[in-house]
Amino acid sequence: MKTFEYTIKDEVGIHARPAGLLVSKVKALGSSVTIEKGGKSASASKLFAVMGLGVVKGDTIKITVEGGDEDTAATELQAFFEANL
Amino acid sequence: MKSKIFGVLQRVGRSFMLPIALLPVAGLLLGIGSSFTNATTLETYHLTNIIYEGGILYTILDIMAKTGSAVFDNLALLFAMGVAIGMAKKEKEVAALSGAIAFLIMNTAISALITANGGVESMAANSTTSVLGITTLQMGVFGGIIVGLGVAALHNRFYKIELPQVLSFFGGTRFVPIISSIVYLIVGIVMYFVWPVIQGWIASLGDLVLASGYAGTWIYGIIERALIPFGLHHVFYMPFWQTEVGGAMMIDGTLVQGAQNIFFAELASKSTTQFSVSATRFMSGKFPFMIFGLPAAALAMYHTARPEKKKVVGGLLLSAALTAMLTGITEPIEFTFLFVSPLMYGIHCVLAGLSYMLMHIFNVGVGMTFSGGLIDLTLFGILQGNAKTNWIWIVIVGLVYAVVYYLIFSLMIKHFNYKTPGREADDEETKLYTRKDVDARKAASSGTASSGDNVSALILQGLGGKANLSDIDACATRLRITVKDPALVQDSLLKQSGASGVIHKGNGVQIIYGPQVSVVKSRFEDYLDSPDSNNPAAVVDSAPAPETKADAPAAPAAKPIVLGAHMTGKILPLSEVEDEVFSAGILGEGVAIEPTEGKLYAPCDGTIDNVTDTHHAVSMTSAEGCEILLHVGIDTVKLGGKFFNVHVKDGQAVVRGDLLLSFDMKGIREAGYKLTTPMIVCNTDEYASVTPIAQGNTKPGKNILEIQ
Repeated sequence: MKTFEYTIKDEVGIHARPAGLLVSKVKALGSSVTIEKGGKSASASKLFAVMGLGVVKGDTIKITVEGGDEDTAATELQAFFEANL
Repeated sequence: MKSKIFGVLQRVGRSFMLPIALLPVAGLLLGIGSSFTNATTLETYHLTNIIYEGGILYTILDIMAKTGSAVFDNLALLFAMGVAIGMAKKEKEVAALSGAIAFLIMNTAISALITANGGVESMAANSTTSVLGITTLQMGVFGGIIVGLGVAALHNRFYKIELPQVLSFFGGTRFVPIISSIVYLIVGIVMYFVWPVIQGWIASLGDLVLASGYAGTWIYGIIERALIPFGLHHVFYMPFWQTEVGGAMMIDGTLVQGAQNIFFAELASKSTTQFSVSATRFMSGKFPFMIFGLPAAALAMYHTARPEKKKVVGGLLLSAALTAMLTGITEPIEFTFLFVSPLMYGIHCVLAGLSYMLMHIFNVGVGMTFSGGLIDLTLFGILQGNAKTNWIWIVIVGLVYAVVYYLIFSLMIKHFNYKTPGREADDEETKLYTRKDVDARKAASSGTASSGDNVSALILQGLGGKANLSDIDACATRLRITVKDPALVQDSLLKQSGASGVIHKGNGVQIIYGPQVSVVKSRFEDYLDSPDSNNPAAVVDSAPAPETKADAPAAPAAKPIVLGAHMTGKILPLSEVEDEVFSAGILGEGVAIEPTEGKLYAPCDGTIDNVTDTHHAVSMTSAEGCEILLHVGIDTVKLGGKFFNVHVKDGQAVVRGDLLLSFDMKGIREAGYKLTTPMIVCNTDEYASVTPIAQGNTKPGKNILEIQ
């Protein structure tokens, strides 16, 4: 299991477009990914759950990656967040 | 044994419902007709110039009065047929025919014996009457019930009988009227000898009741109310209303027996100056607590509900209160508190009994057809004038009752912290009332019948499947089911189907729905005839809620649904939306609308999951589990909420067509944004297909997206 934290820099937070990109990214990975914000957590492969967290700019979220390819998956995700959020 | 008797009594009670359901109509005809042909009434309201004997209006009114009277006069025959229908398990129409024939045969046999033994003169005074032109023993509605019960028993035993080859034409259902005729020929002979003895007992019971005075009236009232939860009240009050137990009286030269019959005979009589309170004591007491007391209790429940629940609970309680006030059907209110506090129901029984007694004491002579609502009060109280009925005491006592009920209910609910509607913790029970409310609103607004399947599936699942059912029926407010194995019944599923309560007694299950039960029953029966009913779990497991919009061919993972238009405007395929996150289907499949009005509506029944902080997008989950994203405009997140107004909040239950957002179209356009609004099914991968089913201009209410 790998975890890392990320603080959102994107103006609109994890809204429809980035959420959609994130979910399709996660689905392409072999590991299961969970996002946690302020005690609430959501599966990152469920668009609805991700958007339901209501993550906005300045929020710090905790990402947990678990599975066979968790090392590479975590690295890829980190890069994804830096680039998109 | 005890529960078996209860089961039989229940079925007898519900078999009364068919003839009883006719009484309000007959009562309306008789009430209006006889009120405006009554000389005193006409003079009081100065109508003698318009309505006079021989005039057209008078004749029409007279026809109304006489046809209404015909129903009450022949109630015994209606019971003979109605009870036979109600108690017969199958081929009910044969039981009805047999009931009518058996009733004629029994009375004719009695009549022949009366003639053979010296005619009416040789019989005890007032022990005979004329039924359908046959001079026979005065048996009242009992005569009909005896026939109905017996014929149904014969019917259930013989309707599948196989006779020897030569006689096979007379086998099966054709045998039922034959055997009924023969048996009731004998019953008629027996009755000629036995019934006079029973008449004596009934007369002394009637005397006893009459002599019991005010206290007797009070006890009658308490018992009548206390039997409601068991559904046995019809069995209890019927003898008082329809037979000599409730008194006997000579009116215009005819002997009339039973409280209700006496009241309506007096109503039809031109010479009545005041209605007999000795009869109406079994009826008038309903008015104060039904029109005033229980609605006040509903108000108390509303005021003690949690503020955030008030809107939902208000709708439920208001409709229940109006039902009680107008029609006198009180079960919807009574059951809301019966299950959370039997003690409160006990107090209600005592107060109801007291109401009967007070009406007796104050000489209130207002009768009723069926129950004590405003309609009956107007027709049989106010219209008849205070001089004949003393109806004003109903209002006076009623107002006091309103205060008393309000105070008692408010104090008890707060003191004992009863979980009346809107006070529950956030568990299933809250949903129960919400769902019922949603169902009622939906039925009222759309009038569609498509939600039946899932409700029926839930009921069937809750009852333990098709194989567990033995008998299905319904009375005014409840579905009454006899099951083979009571252990298989799951109350939680039944409650999910919209029931406000479930009662078990042995193999009998009563599921309380309120007055819409007849619809629930017929849909349930239709559902049982459909192949879907062989596997109700398929529907129930994947969709805990009863709402559904489309009939399902075998569902894949999730329940199919058809979504309505979320806006007024022009439909666009998702691929033409100028934002690749939508057009490429990254978020899921769906459809978009280019709006012509700045309003966003719910495309289906469901729950709001989230309204974004920026107010331009709403996500909701349909009752079937479909996850829907409604996103107003392209890139409008950057407006930060400007131009948008939100009308719902997270977690709120909505029905199809509810307004979710409104927005300033001009403002958004001038700020440089497009208004194209996609509706996306976020869990598209749980379905086999998401297909737009409409093109061109649309508006809320039209179906636009089919999801299977």
